[in-house]
Amino acid sequence: MHATIQKSLEEILGYLAEGEKVFIVGCGNCATKCKSGGEEQSEEMKLRLENNGVAVTGWAVPPNGGSTCKLSAVRELLTIAHKEEVEEADSFLVLACGQGVHTVLDVVGDKLVHPGCDTIFGGETVTDDFITEYCSLCGECVIEYTGGLCPLTLCTKGLLNGPCGGAQNGKCEVDKERDCGWQLIYERLKTIGRLESLREYHEPKDYSKWSKPRSLSLKNAKPEFKSLAGIVSP
Amino acid sequence: MMLKELFDAGKLVITSEIGPPKGTDVSEIMAGVEPIRGRVDAINVTDLQSSVMRLGSLAVCHLLKEKGFEPVFQITCRDRNRLALQSDLLSASVLGIENVLCLTGDHTTLGDHPEAQPVYDLDSVSLIHTVKKLTSGVDMEGHELEGAPKFSVGAVVNPGAEPIELQILKMEKKVDAGAEFFQTQGIFEADKFEKFIKATEHLKVPIIAGIILLKSAGMARFMNSNIAGVFVPDAIIREMAKAKSKTKVSVAIAGRIIKEVRDMCSGIHLMPLGWDARVPEVLDVAGL
Repeated sequence: MHATIQKSLEEILGYLAEGEKVFIVGCGNCATKCKSGGEEQSEEMKLRLENNGVAVTGWAVPPNGGSTCKLSAVRELLTIAHKEEVEEADSFLVLACGQGVHTVLDVVGDKLVHPGCDTIFGGETVTDDFITEYCSLCGECVIEYTGGLCPLTLCTKGLLNGPCGGAQNGKCEVDKERDCGWQLIYERLKTIGRLESLREYHEPKDYSKWSKPRSLSLKNAKPEFKSLAGIVSP
Repeated sequence: MMLKELFDAGKLVITSEIGPPKGTDVSEIMAGVEPIRGRVDAINVTDLQSSVMRLGSLAVCHLLKEKGFEPVFQITCRDRNRLALQSDLLSASVLGIENVLCLTGDHTTLGDHPEAQPVYDLDSVSLIHTVKKLTSGVDMEGHELEGAPKFSVGAVVNPGAEPIELQILKMEKKVDAGAEFFQTQGIFEADKFEKFIKATEHLKVPIIAGIILLKSAGMARFMNSNIAGVFVPDAIIREMAKAKSKTKVSVAIAGRIIKEVRDMCSGIHLMPLGWDARVPEVLDVAGL
């Protein structure tokens, strides 16, 4: 899940030039679940923009839970299903994650594409109304040694070799409401009888694997993950 | 002079601590250290303490060295990546600095530039490994250095942190990485400190007890609820609350705690928090 949150209307209005005709693109998957770019929010955005004097040619969300980060789905949506409204538009407001903004950009070519959301993290849908972050998408997973809990994500400082001295009553120094990630890891390891693994030294991360942009190719027999660290193939 | 040599010689090592100013006027801190000349073995210089942007530790360490003091260069992982950390360590060595204290560093959001990117490319354990690598003549990637630095490398530990098992595990990792001495968070309860010393006896590493000069009862209460691992007992808070002269009572309390813990450990680290001029009195009371 790519968690997103809508930008303020004020910020969005600031992107739009006088007389600019806009088409709104939402997402049937993550942004629908985040209530930032589902059908309801896309239609609502149309009304809010119109109330502020913006001409909106239409809106669309990939059907059946379709994801806006999938280029083929967006191409079909914009070039077939909503061809006329799209041609009429000067620009596109994307209520989806940054990947979604890019698929729209791929489809519409030279026309303007505006982000309508901030992409905030990749998260676990704990319940339908709560999403939280357990993975930082770093490209080098260490959680076998930490009981499945990521220190890079759950520790505010991303420390790999145990807690700093700042935690108090199991809470992080930055926020008394926030659990100390290493306290969680410690408790988890204790529960599963793996406390010994805390003794292991972890080398600093290979940040070349976290270099951007990265890609995953499935064109050959084996998947290929490409970063500045080179190509990794299992 | 490397602190390791003093520990090896069995001396009770006395250090104090100063925080660089926010700006370029160093007159006050440089005057502030004069009263402790000859009374302490070394002076730690904090590295952007509390994540507040200010004059750097390295520059102040250099000024101290020029004035004939022995500085301890405190270096945190918060603001520099592995290139900058290693480079600053080499710079410190060239400036004659021989003692470093490796810390994680408070989080950026606690300071005066809360929007800054926190770095933590290395953590305190990998930083200690890195210092040791540099002293062995190679950088952390194994590339040879033209001239290797010499450092006595210290680390910190928080005896009051919970769970203590986790603190000690990390302390063990720091010892394995090459930490030659440890400086603790502020100690107010000798009995609890003794338990910690016993629990870490197997590490056979010198421990310097941290001693904070209390400014008021309010400060003590504030630390109890906001500073991890610091606990000022009620009796001490009451002493401060009814004190006619806060400085006299503060000095007496610090001196008393030093007397209680000095035989348990290898050194005393004073955190006067600006009350540098009181340090000699504290040492007098403690009989040091």
